Amino acid sequence: MPGATIDHLVATTVFIVAILAFISLFTQTLQTAILYQQNRHVALKASDLLDNILLSPGYPYNWGVTNATLSCFGLQQPGAAGYVVSSFALMRLTSLSGKPVEYPRGSGKWYNNISLGPGGFLFIPMSESIDYETAARLLGVNGTYGFQLDITPIVKVSISEHQANPLILKVEVSGPGFPLSGAALSYYLYRAYKTGQYPSIELFSGTAQADSAGVAYLNFPLDGVTETYTIVLYARLSGLLGVGHYSHRTFTRGAGVMPFVVDYEHGKVYLAHSWDVHDQGTPVPDYKFNSTFYILTEEFEFQPWPIANSTGMLNYGSKNYEVTTLPVAHPGFLLTTYWVGGEYGMSVMPWGIGTLSVSVMFGDNPAGNVWTATDLRQVSVDMMAYQARIICWSLKGYQVWKPGGW
Amino acid sequence: MVILILAVAFIAATLYAVLPSPRQISSPSLRQVALTTLQVLDTEKALTETVFKETTDQAWIDLQIALSATLPPNIIYNLTAYDLVQIGNIVTYSKFHTITNSKGGTGTYSEAASYLVTSTNVTFTIAPQKISGTLYILNCSDANGWWITGYTSQSLAADLRNLLSPYFNTTVMVQNTAQLGSLLNGNKISSLPHENVAKAVILNTFGEAVPIPSSYADMYYQDSYARYCYELGKRTNQYNWTWVSIVGYPFYYVSNIVKLSASQNSWGIYGMVDVGPAGLNSFLRGLDVENYPSYSYNGAWITGSPGVVYFSAGASYYSNYYGIYPSPYQTATRTLPSWIQGTYHTTAMASVFNPVSGWYAAATFKHTGTGALTAIGLTRIPDIRVTALALLMYYRPTLYKSKLTLTSGERPTQRLVVLQLSQQGGS
Repeated sequence: MPGATIDHLVATTVFIVAILAFISLFTQTLQTAILYQQNRHVALKASDLLDNILLSPGYPYNWGVTNATLSCFGLQQPGAAGYVVSSFALMRLTSLSGKPVEYPRGSGKWYNNISLGPGGFLFIPMSESIDYETAARLLGVNGTYGFQLDITPIVKVSISEHQANPLILKVEVSGPGFPLSGAALSYYLYRAYKTGQYPSIELFSGTAQADSAGVAYLNFPLDGVTETYTIVLYARLSGLLGVGHYSHRTFTRGAGVMPFVVDYEHGKVYLAHSWDVHDQGTPVPDYKFNSTFYILTEEFEFQPWPIANSTGMLNYGSKNYEVTTLPVAHPGFLLTTYWVGGEYGMSVMPWGIGTLSVSVMFGDNPAGNVWTATDLRQVSVDMMAYQARIICWSLKGYQVWKPGGW
Repeated sequence: MVILILAVAFIAATLYAVLPSPRQISSPSLRQVALTTLQVLDTEKALTETVFKETTDQAWIDLQIALSATLPPNIIYNLTAYDLVQIGNIVTYSKFHTITNSKGGTGTYSEAASYLVTSTNVTFTIAPQKISGTLYILNCSDANGWWITGYTSQSLAADLRNLLSPYFNTTVMVQNTAQLGSLLNGNKISSLPHENVAKAVILNTFGEAVPIPSSYADMYYQDSYARYCYELGKRTNQYNWTWVSIVGYPFYYVSNIVKLSASQNSWGIYGMVDVGPAGLNSFLRGLDVENYPSYSYNGAWITGSPGVVYFSAGASYYSNYYGIYPSPYQTATRTLPSWIQGTYHTTAMASVFNPVSGWYAAATFKHTGTGALTAIGLTRIPDIRVTALALLMYYRPTLYKSKLTLTSGERPTQRLVVLQLSQQGGS
């Protein structure tokens, strides 16, 4: 009898151990399956979110050109069909990439900073920008999914100085996968010079063609060291359109004249003395400036558009900004040239994201999340070819967040 | 035995519980990427033009470069254009040309999107229904305009004729104020057989000013010619006209560069007299002549300035229907109030913009008897597309089914473009 009892105990123990072992094995399989399904769901959510954002203009549908409070979020160009994105709606998104700027210093008024590189500025009041929390809430994913949206130009146009005197600029045109061989180029070079009290702008425009490596060299009868200029260049091939810009200035002791959009809905812009943003030390220069708005025509040409107070002088005292107004909903760019002590500077501000192929990064940071899904679409912004990429992750569920981040 | 059963069950479950591959979970939606790539390449109709060119044409090489540049480097593509041939009720597809960046196919997993393009050699003929009345466009050479900065009345008249004449049986340009006077007297002013003064549309291209014939200036000069505006309202009612004002405050000035050569509109424009708000009030009284049988002066300012106004749902629909695309949001500073419907027995119809607090930025006020006023109360400069849209929304002529014809040779009229994508190292 004791032997049978022991046999029974051993058999039961082995049975229980075997059951537990296989439960563990099945659990692992189920766990993997659950994670796969969860990740699959996030991937589908990423695709849905991207389409929701790109195929709806939001409501009110013209929110991109007003200060309207949103009740539905979407970036599609009002009245357009398909994946056509409003360049002005993109301007109202709070940028994830640029550090906000306070203007004037100590005022508590912060501006959304969409970075353009040297000499390029785009500052929109934070109070008039759409932040990530608002967008997530309106999209119905607040607290359940996080996302980051990147809108970047497909065609990258890089311009650099190849030779200083006479000036030769090197242009490189490429997409994410290949150089744009044989692309047709149209360029506008704006050179600063002084004839009267205020600086003026001289235009050099022309066309060229990229070689098989997507490279072209542009010659100008200018001294690239002593001249201040900004060049805007369009590249086009078989329906693909991209733009690039490059600035060179001789005045380097500060940012000079900086444009701030102070009233977005009415296109009101302050041309501000940079002392109100960064104190570059003494002596603080006075700037004589000339500001010109160039509107983008349907034929992709830039035409000057008269604006108020286009010339003047700024100092860091009583006259530290000038007010001008840009045409609402008309894409173009504001080019400001300034003169101080025989040196010139230039700053450029796009009005509409597509005009100067500005990238926009909007949303939250995915760091710390175990798994993210990515999806992309090709879109048009002001006829420019862009790529919209979304990174999406789950904020709820099993094993979605790794404490301490990556 | 139990262990054996459990082991078999586990192996069976592991074998049959097929999980999706990691690539299927996390890869971008290649079908959507393919579709949007085709759409971007066709933004300027470049894809359409290329697809109908010979396979040896440089455009195909450019298309391949653009395609390669557009897609990420790890994407394999295969773009194929097919001819669509219809024989009876059967449509067949035959391959025309292929471009690809892979010699070895697109792997075991790929997705594709298709895009139908129509040759630029194909003509779509649209036959609009004709509006029965005559369209009179004021093109008077002896009058000046106001609030039409950047344009001349004559250039606006020419553009409006191009936009609207297909929808009317007869279009007549009123070349001078004398012809306008004749028209106001109920006379035909051309030899065109279908010209009809009754039920006409009178399109005033002079902005806030309205031309005045010399004979009418002699008769109806009272209150800075507000009396003339009353007469215009009466004639609009009498002949069942639709009077159209393209921008700003209607009837604010009258103009005749000969008769009023010594007068200026208070802004330095000679040949023009400032009637003021009394002009519109007088016109509306004249339009409602049954209830206001005699002229009396009313100089009250009645328009409003609601600021930015937005397309109504009807305007969005008809904008697409007629292919006229003004900006869906405009600035309105001279909008008519809703109360004129009750006071002057009119009904606001075909509003282009959603009314804001009772202000109509662009609508047709139809009198309960006869006659109507279409007023575009937007700020300068005028966008004549809004005027055209407002009129077409009011009359709603039907566009008859388009007809497809070939204009050259026997080449295919449609091709199907299929873009197939896969990722390198496909599962």
